[in-house]
Amino acid sequence: MHPFTYTRVSSTRDALAAGRRGGRYIAGGTTLVDLMREGVEHPATIVDISGLPLDEVRATERGGLRIGALVSMAQAAAHPKVRALFPVISQALELSASAQLRNMATIGGNIMQRTRCTYFRDVTAACNKRDPGSGCAARDGFNRTHAILGASTACVATHPSDVSVAFAALQAQVHLLGPDGERRLSFADFLLRPGTTPQREQALHPGELITAVEIPALPRPLASGYLKVRDRQSYEFALTSAAVALHVRGGIIREAKVAAGGVGTVPWKLPAVEDHLIGERPSDALWKAAAKKAADGARPLAHNRFKVELLQRTVERQLRTVGGHA
Amino acid sequence: MSPQPQAAVGAPLSRVDGRLKVTGQARYAAEHDVDGTVHAVIIDASIGRGRITAIDTRQAEAQPGVLRVLHHRNAPKLPYRDNTASNNPPGERLRVFQDDKVLFHGQPVAVVIATTLEAAQHGARLVKVRYQTEQPDTDLTDATPDKPTTYARGDAEAALRKAPVRLDLSYRTARNHHNPMEPHATIARWEGGKLTVWDKTQWVVGTQTELAAVFGLPLDSVRVISPYVGGAFGTGLRCWPHTIVAALAARVTKRPVKLVLSRRQMYFGNGFRPAYAYRLRLGSDRRGRLTAALHEMDGETSSYETFTEAIMTPGQMLYSTPNVKQAYRTVPLDVNTPIWMRGPGFANASYVIESAIDELAHTIGIDPIELRRRNEPAEDESSGLPFSTRRLRECYTIGAREFGWHRRSHKPRSRREGDWLIGMGMAAGVYDTARATAQARVRLDADGTATVEAATSDMGPGTYTSQTQVAADALGLTMRTVTFRLGDSLYPPTPPHGGSMTMASVGSAVLDGCNRVRNNAIKLATEDRQSPLHGADPNDIVVRGGRLHVKNNPARGETYRALLTRNKSTHLEALGNFTGPEGTPRHSFFAYNATFAEVAVDATLGLVRVRRMLGVYDAGRIISPKLAQSQAIGGMVGGIGTALLEHSVTDPRDGRTVNANLADYLIPVNADVPDIQAIYLDGEDREADPLGVKGLGEVVHVGVAPAIANAVFNATGRRIRQLPITADALL
Repeated sequence: MHPFTYTRVSSTRDALAAGRRGGRYIAGGTTLVDLMREGVEHPATIVDISGLPLDEVRATERGGLRIGALVSMAQAAAHPKVRALFPVISQALELSASAQLRNMATIGGNIMQRTRCTYFRDVTAACNKRDPGSGCAARDGFNRTHAILGASTACVATHPSDVSVAFAALQAQVHLLGPDGERRLSFADFLLRPGTTPQREQALHPGELITAVEIPALPRPLASGYLKVRDRQSYEFALTSAAVALHVRGGIIREAKVAAGGVGTVPWKLPAVEDHLIGERPSDALWKAAAKKAADGARPLAHNRFKVELLQRTVERQLRTVGGHA
Repeated sequence: MSPQPQAAVGAPLSRVDGRLKVTGQARYAAEHDVDGTVHAVIIDASIGRGRITAIDTRQAEAQPGVLRVLHHRNAPKLPYRDNTASNNPPGERLRVFQDDKVLFHGQPVAVVIATTLEAAQHGARLVKVRYQTEQPDTDLTDATPDKPTTYARGDAEAALRKAPVRLDLSYRTARNHHNPMEPHATIARWEGGKLTVWDKTQWVVGTQTELAAVFGLPLDSVRVISPYVGGAFGTGLRCWPHTIVAALAARVTKRPVKLVLSRRQMYFGNGFRPAYAYRLRLGSDRRGRLTAALHEMDGETSSYETFTEAIMTPGQMLYSTPNVKQAYRTVPLDVNTPIWMRGPGFANASYVIESAIDELAHTIGIDPIELRRRNEPAEDESSGLPFSTRRLRECYTIGAREFGWHRRSHKPRSRREGDWLIGMGMAAGVYDTARATAQARVRLDADGTATVEAATSDMGPGTYTSQTQVAADALGLTMRTVTFRLGDSLYPPTPPHGGSMTMASVGSAVLDGCNRVRNNAIKLATEDRQSPLHGADPNDIVVRGGRLHVKNNPARGETYRALLTRNKSTHLEALGNFTGPEGTPRHSFFAYNATFAEVAVDATLGLVRVRRMLGVYDAGRIISPKLAQSQAIGGMVGGIGTALLEHSVTDPRDGRTVNANLADYLIPVNADVPDIQAIYLDGEDREADPLGVKGLGEVVHVGVAPAIANAVFNATGRRIRQLPITADALL
């Protein structure tokens, strides 16, 4: 492991000061430490923020939820308000990683997770994300798990987080604190598509700290859930996944929030699917027709062609699971 | 000699070393405290074939803590004498740091030795290696195979042409990796010209001979110690390059060196189960009786060694087939050399044969078990010898009854529960009953306790426990008063701890040694005027709980302790011996199973989930039922991996193993493991060995993958002739 210094901070002010000097924030450490061991990451300074008071889940005045950046995945999943209001978040979290990792990893860290692309994680392979300009070994390599949506010539890696798919579907906002004060970014703006700069994964300013993720209020009742499709039953990243939330009143779908995971370079919001659902009556035929649009614009690679069909079926299944048979 | 009462053997005992293991007191290879140990980290070649043109070590050597960087330009030349007393396959073994050639991606090209592990790891990142790169061959079906090994009986081609029912099926199996929980690790220490190595190995004797050969040392100058092994499944059957690297690094730095392979290195630093392309053509009559079988199998090997395994055997003896033709070709590739992995050869052959038999049954329209019964041979048709024991029919009967086979619909895709299609499948399994020469030293002390030593290993099956059981009964002692020691080349030699031969071979040597010691004690007592047993017929004396007595008169006797103390004897000792099979064989020896699986397949998403499994085994006598149960569960879990999850992917551009980690090379987790049951048929094989065992560690894995594949067909009506069966194949 590359030599590094470690400091622990107890206030956001100290954190920001350390961040301004180039320190990398670490909380659960479940991604960063792995990557440091593999030689992928080599920060000179890591700043342990796990002692900051950012570990609260609370309802917002507007009827949404604010999940502190340092709430662990396990705590967030089990929180009564999260379970009651947004089962899709609890499910996405509980289908992630392992119990041990969920106890360590935090919500802020989860949305900062780096890709599982095996070429990214192998320092002897070409990777524009790890080593800009070195090329992309995955594009013409083994790419069964890679993205069919949002890829560029430079990078075809998927975003690995499950809960980010739920956040993207629900149009969560990321609360940030920087030297110039607070700001908010919509989830869609927070995570960046690779384009020509795949090394830039989030729209964060240097030294900026994630303080919370806020889920906006949505009309009630809201049925929601997360489906994760993978070879192994547990402890694996998604081949495909779908986060779905539906508000049905008077037999009509009034609100639809749908996003897919495992298929995009970022969690993939599916507005065409949502538009197809809104104003319609739930039915198996509707689910099928809407899900057909899930893979619009997909550009599969040599080994992930199956994801196009699998994505549509995943979305259809989850629409039916959340919306019911009719 | 009166037979000893059986108390420990056959009792469902827990592991004698269980407490040590769960409390962290069992020392694995990397955990031995050796004063002054420094750390070594191997640098792996990042090309698939070529030459090293430059190595720049300056930056690494400037790091605090880094002692040396060794590579082909500065490493001492090593004798690398031939070694026939090991598991090295034919060919030229990889000689570490002896020249500039790169034979495969991941080959060790240098090693960094430092005072701390972290310094060594960091140093390894700073070494710059330049290469002249060539295009590697890594694809089994593209490269040029070696000349085939062939087998024939009858005229299979003609019989196939005449057969009313013919199948022509091509299968692929994936490269599988052992992935034991404990990675390979070595600590090497030199004292003058003597080398001591703490190593993860299944065969201290083999590693000892290899180190002696590589470094040009007399055998008794090398000691290999390996008391605990955290799983191996075959990967510890050979001395791999890293062990040589550790010993070399220790010699150069004059410090004890510890070297642990990373999980990534566990995909190319040691062997693997080779991938196969296997074409099988079957001919049968309309009632399903096989008339012809033609097997063509191509398996991976390295460019520098020819690795083979017993993939031809099941096709020659599992079913009655008058006409058989086989051709087995190794295909040299730019990879490291494979090694046996649980159920080697048999597991791959059984997958193909048992899948094809299932297809044949479906084609003809009869039950797959009935088809197997119709082809049950009267003798081993490859040798003409009678089977010592072969109770496969009983396995079918009991398995079908216990699993509820009658509920299986012959028609595929006929049972559905919501989104899931449900299916059942079964397969037969077979594995060779191997035995080999082994010795064990038995010492009975005057305090009434005994120590038994043999060089063997315990990679997980429970050697410590089962050998203690054998010794305890043969000596007439309790389990607590017998200590079994293993994993040291100073102990009497034993064969490799693999191929399911440890119980038969080492166990028989232990039995022999204990019988000798007990008989010596009995002789001493019956000839001792002061003994209550004086003058008794030695053949009437048994020992129980450390006390010798006349079998039908328990009151007449005395303890070992009293006997030895009175005779001023500190101990009695004997060397037990087992010579293995001798002379012309009179029987054909195999262990068998019938394995049953029920799967659910998501009709839309293609996911396969195993719901239930049952294995029924004809494995001879079961020494340790609780451990045998564990073995069966482990074998079936491994089979789920082979069937549905496990495959390493090689990038054809540069020979890189793309998924060399446990997040991307998938093995079953608890959620993938369903209700698993195992039944061992009562009995023993009197012809096989003195203990009547047939070996069980391998056979429990053979037949599992085809049972699952056949269940997938029964559920879906889809035949996937490639392992693993993943969602994309079933969409």
